[in-house]
Amino acid sequence: MSTDDESFHPLGEEWENDLEGMLDDTEYDTDLGMEMAEDAMRVTKGELSEADFHEKYHEDVMEEFGEDNRPTQEAYENAQEEAKGTFSSMLEKFEGDGEEPRRDVMKKMGAGAAAVGLGAWATVDDGDQQALAAAQDEDDESGAPGADEGDVQWGMAIDLERCDGCLSCVTACSTENNLDQGVNWMYVLEYEDAGAPSSTSRNRLVRPCQHCTDAPCEKVCPTTARHTRDKDGLVLTDYDVCIGCRYCQVACPYGVNYFQWDEPDVSTDEIADVHGVEPGEQGDHMTSEDDRWVDSRAPRGTMSKCTMCPSRQDGHMGDEAVGTTACEEACPPDAIQFGNMNDSTSDPQAYAGNPSRGRTLAQLNPPSADELEEDLEDADDDLESVIEATDLEEDELALLIAVEITGENMGEGDGDIAEYEEDVQEVLDALSDHGLDLESQELLSQLDLADEPDLAEEGEGDEEGVDTDEEEAGDENGDDENGDDENGDDENGDDEEDEEDEEEEADDEDEEDEDEEEFEPDEEAAQFLLEQFAGTPASNFKLLEDVGTNPNIIYLGNEPGPNAEQTEPTGTGVRYEDLSYERADGESVSLVDNRKDVLDEETVGDAGVSL
Amino acid sequence: MSTKTPTEADILRPIQNTSKKFFVLFAVCALALGAFLVAWMYQLQQGMIVTGLSDWGSGGGVTWGLYIGAFIWWVGIAHGGIILSAAVRLLGMDRYMPVARLAEMLTLAGLSAAGFYILVHMGRPDRMVTSVLGHYHITVNNSPLVWDVTVITAYFVLTATYLALTLRYDITRLRDQLPDHFSPVYDAMTLGYSEQEDQIIERMVWWLALAIIIMAPLLLHGGVIPWLFAVLPGMPAWFSAVQGPQFLTIALTSAISGVILVAAAFRRAYDWDHIMTDDVFRGLLLWLGFFCLLFLWLQLQQNVVGLFAAPIDTAVAQEATLFHPVYLLSMGLVFGTLVFIFAQTIRPALFTRLRAMIAGVLVLFATLIEKLLFVVEGFMHPTFEIYAATPGEYFPSAIEWLSLLGTIGMVTLFFLVIAKVVPVVELHAIEHLRGDHGHEHEHEPVEESTKKPEVEA
Repeated sequence: MSTDDESFHPLGEEWENDLEGMLDDTEYDTDLGMEMAEDAMRVTKGELSEADFHEKYHEDVMEEFGEDNRPTQEAYENAQEEAKGTFSSMLEKFEGDGEEPRRDVMKKMGAGAAAVGLGAWATVDDGDQQALAAAQDEDDESGAPGADEGDVQWGMAIDLERCDGCLSCVTACSTENNLDQGVNWMYVLEYEDAGAPSSTSRNRLVRPCQHCTDAPCEKVCPTTARHTRDKDGLVLTDYDVCIGCRYCQVACPYGVNYFQWDEPDVSTDEIADVHGVEPGEQGDHMTSEDDRWVDSRAPRGTMSKCTMCPSRQDGHMGDEAVGTTACEEACPPDAIQFGNMNDSTSDPQAYAGNPSRGRTLAQLNPPSADELEEDLEDADDDLESVIEATDLEEDELALLIAVEITGENMGEGDGDIAEYEEDVQEVLDALSDHGLDLESQELLSQLDLADEPDLAEEGEGDEEGVDTDEEEAGDENGDDENGDDENGDDENGDDEEDEEDEEEEADDEDEEDEDEEEFEPDEEAAQFLLEQFAGTPASNFKLLEDVGTNPNIIYLGNEPGPNAEQTEPTGTGVRYEDLSYERADGESVSLVDNRKDVLDEETVGDAGVSL
Repeated sequence: MSTKTPTEADILRPIQNTSKKFFVLFAVCALALGAFLVAWMYQLQQGMIVTGLSDWGSGGGVTWGLYIGAFIWWVGIAHGGIILSAAVRLLGMDRYMPVARLAEMLTLAGLSAAGFYILVHMGRPDRMVTSVLGHYHITVNNSPLVWDVTVITAYFVLTATYLALTLRYDITRLRDQLPDHFSPVYDAMTLGYSEQEDQIIERMVWWLALAIIIMAPLLLHGGVIPWLFAVLPGMPAWFSAVQGPQFLTIALTSAISGVILVAAAFRRAYDWDHIMTDDVFRGLLLWLGFFCLLFLWLQLQQNVVGLFAAPIDTAVAQEATLFHPVYLLSMGLVFGTLVFIFAQTIRPALFTRLRAMIAGVLVLFATLIEKLLFVVEGFMHPTFEIYAATPGEYFPSAIEWLSLLGTIGMVTLFFLVIAKVVPVVELHAIEHLRGDHGHEHEHEPVEESTKKPEVEA
């Protein structure tokens, strides 16, 4: 850095201009940010005390940023996470000012000023590189479009209690990817679990690749053939790079890898032919968007495993196939939910967040809005008449309304669940249009979704109303995961509620007059109804979570314990060998549960014994 | 023992005379290597399916088997050779000077066999250069397999440099008696030689020896090779900090055994009983005993920790190992060897060279099957051991067994060939044995104690 450089920052003028650019990109006052940054540097040089610095900008910061939750806050906190070393040493400096908790101060400073001001500070404490990295992270987090949603990470929620073991997913996967016999990228197994507490849930496991965020297979690969796609987090193998050392299979704790020990049964020409293109072209179900050969069965001498269908995710199989997998599509009971794990409205997250609701949505098959309108043309608008005139049962209607009550963002997102929600919403809208007041306490109480209205007038219902509010607040935090607990509370009766309610009595009186308008549906009752209908899973888990792989598959159901052992015969609802699947060469072959049976046929001098 | 005086003629004998037995042995070894090369070609043509391997998990097999077990075994054998040689130079263990060069050569031969196994084990060996070197700058940061390739290559280069430097002295002085048809080789090896360099070379070699003796335990068999396994948390049979030390002791036992066998073979073939004296073998045997003791001690650690109150997955894996016949056989052989070695130190009459060789063979066999079992057991008892209906089954195929014969043939061929080109005993060693040397002797207490019985005998 030249000495005639007029910059205040130790990294020089160019760096400073970059920072200024970053600030310009934000909605905040650039001049204020740069001014603060300059003074921050003075603090590091000892020319200005920290207290003075704080005081000098306190008012400006308040005026500029206020106390609200600005959209940049999350980005800032992310940067703070990533540069903990740098920022925590910064934060300590705030602690001494004796005026406000440091966290508050940081919030008020805002992302832009934090990037520059704290970055400057850090140059003295932790060196230029870290400051640069911290600011860079800041930039990445806040600058990228749609940073709020985060990047796409495909993953699944698999409801093991909905799986009936039909192996449709296994055959669909094998057909889609033209796999050799025994190469069960998707595998379903049933197990005995000695020593595990007895459970009503089945001991069944559906095992695709977990597409770990910290994939050990990728870490150990000596070639980068095994890689995670930046764009959507899929863990894939570049068949053109893989040397077949099989270390990925060794390092994977789940045993999901399948090596191509000999020439695969189906040729690349045959695969590409089915899709009407030449091998190597986009859309051949082998070549990915970034021109790497990552999909379909592996060529000889390389490693393969479940891919979560990159050809679909890249749009090569049509827009409607994006966000789907072959196994998910094939699953009759909708036990597999595929989607973006970073999106709370995606199928897997919505389903795992409230499995009873997800199950209900998958199972309900309401009449279409058009059908309803047709049926209702001459009917009255009371509940009995509506039920009479349509195919809807009362139970079903209650479930539809319960789905709506428990849904925070009905129809938002682009997965199956959102579609189901839209259907439900349309049905309910059609009923409303017809004149059925779905929000009236009378109707809801008839459907067991609220208390009797007359009780409310005696004052007790009022308390219930408050109670409901409480539940809602709880649900927002707990995300409905403790469905069972809520049930428990419910059944314990009113004693507890009364105690709690006494504390709230003061509030109750204030709101008494507005009771009629303030009536809100009983979310707890709605949840209870869904749980009664669809049940709650035994547990919610990820496989071998303590190994540190950060898998992207959430399981609902029984978690296999350390003593779990697969049972014979393999297959669950149906045996592997009883099913067959078709491949691109037109032939149908049977499923094989143990690949060794196939491979042993070609072993030279198979001794027929094992070590 | 012998009244003969070691001479230059002694160490030139392998180069100048070739017996019928040599050709027979050469033919047998070439046949073994050739047979495996044919088998390997078949494997390349058909794919790895010709092996007994399969996928672990629903594949019902093991991912790695004899190829990797033998790879570790050869690196282990390779390991000790150069360490022994480096110890001679650094610690003044002059007694082993006559076998030092053989040990260095064993390192090169063993590493070559190990490197060959890496190729044999791969699905696409043709991509070694493009895929591995092409991404080296990225993968070296995290792939233990790349660390392996790096360290083994570095080790090979160090050893080859070491050998090439020390050979310059010998070749220059013996040049007149060496066959003319190899003169381009000798000219290249002694390029620019002058007597002033002797001291400088000596110093360079000393530093190389230091590098090797540090690198071997810290990085090679005490580091990158065990880390291939020890760093994988999903495999309780491997996931342990003891693997580094354990691998090192196994390497050292097999390496000393290897040196004993090679030295004994050369002594017999060229009547070198006055050069590679019984004293040398007694010393080597004692070292072998010491490393066997360490080997068993670390096995004990694993068993106690793995069985007393271990997590379920570790306990299952350790129990399966402990009661495996191959494991029991391996430990029994090492223990038996240990008992013999300690017995012969107390009662020197128990020592014969043949028994020393048998001890070497038994230990090599024990370490080979131990390594094979070690690799295989990992896959048979992973943490996620739910695949009970498709349990890991494995037995090496005929081609895999043949690879053992092939690589043993290859290593023997290496010695048969190199012994025809350069002296396999250092000229320094002859000078030293004759007493016309300027070095000072520092005998360790161990050596003193074993020397006495020899004098009596």
